[in-house]
Amino acid sequence: MPTRAFFSYRPLSAALRMLFLAATLTAPLAHADDYADVGSLVRAGQYPEALAKADKYLAGKPRDPQMRFLRGVIQTETGKTGDAIATFTKITEDYPELPEPYNNLAVLYAGQSQFDKARAALEMAIRTNPSYATAHENLGDIYARLASQAYSKALQLDGANTGVQPKLALIRTLFSADSKAPPPQKPAAAAPAPAAKVVPVPPAPAAPAAPTVKAAPVAPPPAAPAVPVAKAPPTVPPRAVEAPVAAAKPAPAAPAAPAANAGAEKDVEAAVRAWAEAWSMKNMNAYLASYGQSFDPPGKQTRKAWEEDRRARIVGKSRIQVKLSNIAVAVQGNKATARFKQDYSADTLNISSRKTLDMARVGEHWVIVRESTGS
Amino acid sequence: MFLSMASWLLAPPDAHAKDPVRQPAKARAHPPATKKPAAKIRTRPAPVARPPALPVVRDGEAEARLIEVYRLAGQARHREALRKAEALVRDHPNFQLAQLVYGDLLAGQIRAVNTLGDVPAPTAKAAAPLLAELRQESQLRLQALRERPAPGMVPSQFLALSPRNKHAIAVDASRSRLYLFENTAAGLRLLADYYISVGKSGVEKAAEGDLRTPLGVYFISSNLDPKSLRDFYGSGALPINYPNQLDVKRGKTGSGIWLHGTPPAHFSRAPLSTDGCVVLANPDLERIIKTVEIRNTPVVIANSLKWVAPQSLKSELSAFDAVLQGWHQAKTSGDLARLTAWYTPDFTSYGKTLTEWTPLMQAELKQLGGRDIQIKDVSYLRWTDSADTMVVTFGELIKGSNTGRTKRQYWTRQGSQWKIFFEGAI
Repeated sequence: MPTRAFFSYRPLSAALRMLFLAATLTAPLAHADDYADVGSLVRAGQYPEALAKADKYLAGKPRDPQMRFLRGVIQTETGKTGDAIATFTKITEDYPELPEPYNNLAVLYAGQSQFDKARAALEMAIRTNPSYATAHENLGDIYARLASQAYSKALQLDGANTGVQPKLALIRTLFSADSKAPPPQKPAAAAPAPAAKVVPVPPAPAAPAAPTVKAAPVAPPPAAPAVPVAKAPPTVPPRAVEAPVAAAKPAPAAPAAPAANAGAEKDVEAAVRAWAEAWSMKNMNAYLASYGQSFDPPGKQTRKAWEEDRRARIVGKSRIQVKLSNIAVAVQGNKATARFKQDYSADTLNISSRKTLDMARVGEHWVIVRESTGS
Repeated sequence: MFLSMASWLLAPPDAHAKDPVRQPAKARAHPPATKKPAAKIRTRPAPVARPPALPVVRDGEAEARLIEVYRLAGQARHREALRKAEALVRDHPNFQLAQLVYGDLLAGQIRAVNTLGDVPAPTAKAAAPLLAELRQESQLRLQALRERPAPGMVPSQFLALSPRNKHAIAVDASRSRLYLFENTAAGLRLLADYYISVGKSGVEKAAEGDLRTPLGVYFISSNLDPKSLRDFYGSGALPINYPNQLDVKRGKTGSGIWLHGTPPAHFSRAPLSTDGCVVLANPDLERIIKTVEIRNTPVVIANSLKWVAPQSLKSELSAFDAVLQGWHQAKTSGDLARLTAWYTPDFTSYGKTLTEWTPLMQAELKQLGGRDIQIKDVSYLRWTDSADTMVVTFGELIKGSNTGRTKRQYWTRQGSQWKIFFEGAI
């Protein structure tokens, strides 16, 4: 059984997925063994051996996030806090969509009593999935409400006058049939092609088959192709293996397509939020990586000049906070537009503005190709 | 809040158990504190009418749980503190201080909490007096648990207790604390101590309606059936004998000073909130009611108790023993004049002046006919304020007889001499 990826629910980068699937299909047990071996050495407390195995593995596959993650864990358990922080930080730069490295950074920062950094890292972890953020905010509202009730009982207040009822935020899309149906998605892997073709949309093997509308009975398709939320990672491997089969038997198109689209909207929104977070955290790598190759810098600057400019304006600030609200996303195939209100606050400066980001899908990521102020 | 590195750090690749989406965080189950027994069907009336069995709350338990919450919060173990606070208010929804702490711990999940009862400003303003009282209650409870009498020390008023005094009570009004003692062969042993409330106007009752708790040495005079009382009094009431004979001598008025419990809406009351009574939480009062004997249980109420080592009282004790001996010998001598010298001119005995009382004493002496009087089970309670008073209780037997009477005397020190200003059978 292939090792379940140790990842989050967002689509993995194309390259990674290639790697992963190639591994699972050609040598299903190799990675499982390696991760499991290192994992059990760690659990047994045999850190030098675990580290040696991990390093050996990484020599051949330096970008592998799971082994790097394990390495970070080993460094943590052996007291190499600085190294561990560096390890996890690098993983967050390369894979900003994974919550686990952020979580572990928070643990390390907290161990150093750097609680502000710990908090920021945990907020990043939560924002890798917008539903976490919603649930977290809702939880905060509930705590506030419960506190208010307890205070009323303590102070024998009538309870009528305990402030505004918090309206909890509803998560409106999981995989909903009521999303607008987009034009059939470019079937990146329409053909019942070998696994490689299915790669780009692995958690959604059904989606690429959308164009063929035959409602063939497919054993319950993981009909949440783009659901970043539930189910995805643990079952990615088997699904990926199933993909060639699924491609041959087209899944019911109707639910799949709008579902995929609803998923795309969520992906775009998540990408926008991640961009804002990177900006707030002054994480230049992640911030600049939010902008695609075809990004059109404002004012006719070259890409390089623009990057220098942004770096200077961001790194130079001691504190940045970028808050987004009223995010409206419209997706058309591999293009999308995100419009929102941006509240930018840095040091003593506060600016609110309406922003528009033109986004494009590159592989599994949505990147910014144009950024403008105004609707 | 604070993270435990061990539990969070190592997330093995194939155990995404912490994935909150796949396995939504479970609400922690709080099993009920105790179970209610099933109702029984009786075919005959029960011999003792019992209220429906409720979860038994032990005396002092709620406070101990609250202190545990404080302790956990102080160690930044906020989640555990929150869980315990939640359980505490579930079991005692009328424990307002616990609700306040629970509110703080909830609020602390989402924002900084800077003070006990960190309520929003408008609420703080509207409920300012109540908030102040709860903070005071909290402070007094904590203080009483931090500043404890050293083991073996006793309040200085208990000069000597007799075997008849199986238990004793001392109240420290400024600390809002009541101390319950057992009188063992080895001396007074502290059994328990509880948070209490006293009069709205403080202490040193002098007059009817002054909303003050009296200061002095008293005895529990009766035990009132809670069913005959309004539920305002909670689990019951133990009246004490205010005004005692010293109070009467000083012209103090008022009555109805009880130890009693709390109404259903309140687990405990504010430190200064009663009409003069000493108020306890119901479980604490229940323990006292179950434990003490009426009439033989002294209740010392002081603004601030002074705790001393029993040995340090020995010299004072033997000095007064000698005084009582002197009186005893005078009585046994049959010499009225010699006996009368032990009494103050303003002596009273249940309304009778010395002049009225002397003939009665004369008759008693005649009846003795020279037989010895035996004195046993003597207790001395010393009360020092603007005067020195000794409340002496003993059993008086005619030697050879089996029966006798219990007598109480109130002595006052005049210069270096002690004299009796009240004597009577009780």
